Amino acid sequence: MSAIAETKVGQHYIDALRQRFPFTVLKEEWQTNEQVTVTIKLGDLPNVVEWLYYNQGGWISVLFANDERSIHGNFAVYYVLSMEAGVKCYVVVRAEVDARTGEFPSVTPKVDACVWGEREIRDMYGLKPVGLPDERRLVLPDDWPETLHPLRKDTMDYRVRPEPTSNVENYKFVNDASGETREIPLGPLHITSDEPGHFRLFVDGEDIVDADYRMFYVHRGMEKLAETRMGYDEVTFLADRVCGICGFAHSVAYATSVENALGIVVPPRAQVIRSIMLEVERLHSHLLNLGLACHFVGFDTGFMQFFRIREKAMTLAEMLTGARKTYGVNLIGGIRRDIQKAERLATQKLLGELKKEVTELVDMLLETPNLTQRTSGIGRLDPEVARNFSPVGPNIRASGFARDTRSDHPFCGYKNYSMPVRTKNTCDVLGRVLIRAEEFFDSIDFIMYSLDNMPNGPLLAEGHVYKPYSFALGFVEAPRGEDIHWSMLGDNQKLYRWRARASTYANWPPLRYMLRGNTISDAPLIVASIDPCYSCTDRVTMIDVRKGKSTTVPYSEIERYGRERKNSPLK
Amino acid sequence: MFKLFKTILKTGEATLKYPFAPMPISPGFRGKPEHTPEQCIACAACAIACPANALTMSNDTEAGTRTWQLFLGRCIFCGRCEEVCPTKAIVLSEEFELAVGNKSDLYHKATFKLANCTCCEKPFAPQKEIEYTVDLLKQTGMSAAAVEAKRNLLQTCPDCKRKQSLQVTDKVELTRFMKKGSEA
Repeated sequence: MSAIAETKVGQHYIDALRQRFPFTVLKEEWQTNEQVTVTIKLGDLPNVVEWLYYNQGGWISVLFANDERSIHGNFAVYYVLSMEAGVKCYVVVRAEVDARTGEFPSVTPKVDACVWGEREIRDMYGLKPVGLPDERRLVLPDDWPETLHPLRKDTMDYRVRPEPTSNVENYKFVNDASGETREIPLGPLHITSDEPGHFRLFVDGEDIVDADYRMFYVHRGMEKLAETRMGYDEVTFLADRVCGICGFAHSVAYATSVENALGIVVPPRAQVIRSIMLEVERLHSHLLNLGLACHFVGFDTGFMQFFRIREKAMTLAEMLTGARKTYGVNLIGGIRRDIQKAERLATQKLLGELKKEVTELVDMLLETPNLTQRTSGIGRLDPEVARNFSPVGPNIRASGFARDTRSDHPFCGYKNYSMPVRTKNTCDVLGRVLIRAEEFFDSIDFIMYSLDNMPNGPLLAEGHVYKPYSFALGFVEAPRGEDIHWSMLGDNQKLYRWRARASTYANWPPLRYMLRGNTISDAPLIVASIDPCYSCTDRVTMIDVRKGKSTTVPYSEIERYGRERKNSPLK
Repeated sequence: MFKLFKTILKTGEATLKYPFAPMPISPGFRGKPEHTPEQCIACAACAIACPANALTMSNDTEAGTRTWQLFLGRCIFCGRCEEVCPTKAIVLSEEFELAVGNKSDLYHKATFKLANCTCCEKPFAPQKEIEYTVDLLKQTGMSAAAVEAKRNLLQTCPDCKRKQSLQVTDKVELTRFMKKGSEA
């Protein structure tokens, strides 16, 4: 604790908070020297979060509740703010919620970015955010019992599957359009390969007037699973499985959160290896997205070429981690697998080839007139919307904000390397594609540098002590943006609470604004540009509101129309 | 456009011949865990380490056996079992073609005999684990007679050991100081 006391970063935020809102701060706890949790009076919650967000340059990273009734009798809500103006640190605003009323003032009317988090708290804990404008369910399915809140400690076992309470889908899609519109559902199956979702496009002719969507069809209950079934040291392997592409990022984020909570210092060599593997993941993820960008503008040859080259990045992952997906190499306190000379040389060789081939391909892609024509000015994420919703990754960097966890809150091997932050001011799909292309080469440079400057020493810090009820944040810049995990240890070698927020979670809410004003044929392109991996749906139902008639056409038809833009299926 | 055609020509055929030709894999690849029952002492270290609960151990006290089971449907190929195995009985192979036509083919089993406690005669530990410990003691240079003397202790279950040590503490006079106090 004394080491933290000397080098606290961001103390002035707390001092200013005490001055601006006297008597509101009840407790101030530092988890690391850049992470502070302040407990405040519940009534001040919206004002404090708004003040930190807009006046002090904060961004909402994640918010969640915790059932702390067995510890002090109340629930607690946590709002994690990443402070990025000037002094960079994490400020977690915590407030206790009375267990009898279960009510807390909603922050969403003041800070839009809180909307998904508060809806999730409503579903999972049955707490009531008073004043929340959108009270629909977010995570729980429509046929889930009204009073069963899965993450409360006293409700259910993780294996319980309650009987459905309703046979109809009663989720109301919101349409803000003023005039009459047609309704186009996209989904509910496989809008993306890792996150099936149901999109409702409200169109007038070919133009999207508004859009709404329903996610969480594949909610796997991982947080409950980790809290009840597994030991805290085994969760790294579960965290791998959060995502099929950036699994390693999640397991690093989880491991970091526990390391921060327990004060474990990860050996430098392990840190560098972790960041090398994170960048390998970025290589194959960005190649995937560049390939898909080709596919959605109808440049399928480019798509094939990107995927052919991507195979080299996959080989790299297989060689460095022993599995094609960068799975199962992380442990709390370090890493399980070393990079030795043979692997280093092979990596350098493969990276050289990748760099050469991708440079050629990217040049070719940018010379294709189709690309600029289809992506420039499309799917505009207005900087103001971006500021209000706290999106992450290339998505927000294309709207002119230099947000990148690697440089804002350096972790692992990024501490001794200044990672360039790529931004664009075009706010469109093209900007996001270009940023990914530039970051691809930055990643290669970083891996090359790290391989040459690898510190010696052990791979794993051993002999740490499990401290009950300690908690902290862990964060990583995944290919799609910041992944953030919050873990609180229990008293039984398990986790008391684990909150894992994947980067795409932060990117969905503003998507609605990005879709507005574009044409239907651009919808798959825009959805793919936030890189939710892949945008494919099994079927599309079209409802003509005026005639009250509905027709179903295969999704491949919409996708084909997106590429060829001929013979509209709407006619 | 011309450049693209050149790239395509230069690349030639990118499609692999797999499955008609073997698929090249990187050294150190973690595939299907291979178990060697001859080498296994059924200590259950792997079952404790397995994060996915793919590896399990179950005792059948009626039959006096312990069954080691691997369910490949749950295996995440992390290799924790290989790391903790004291006898190298489980090693991750490079085999990755694991599709089966029948779900029961995903289960691998090995049954080991449990040794009976010399005291209560109930099964408590795998015979092979006890033999392994005896062999380890021999390796440390202990004389054969001394090892045989130890065997009796090794063949006693924890419950009986506890009872035996209780009998010893029975003889310790615990109230010595209390008596002193009352006398004073």
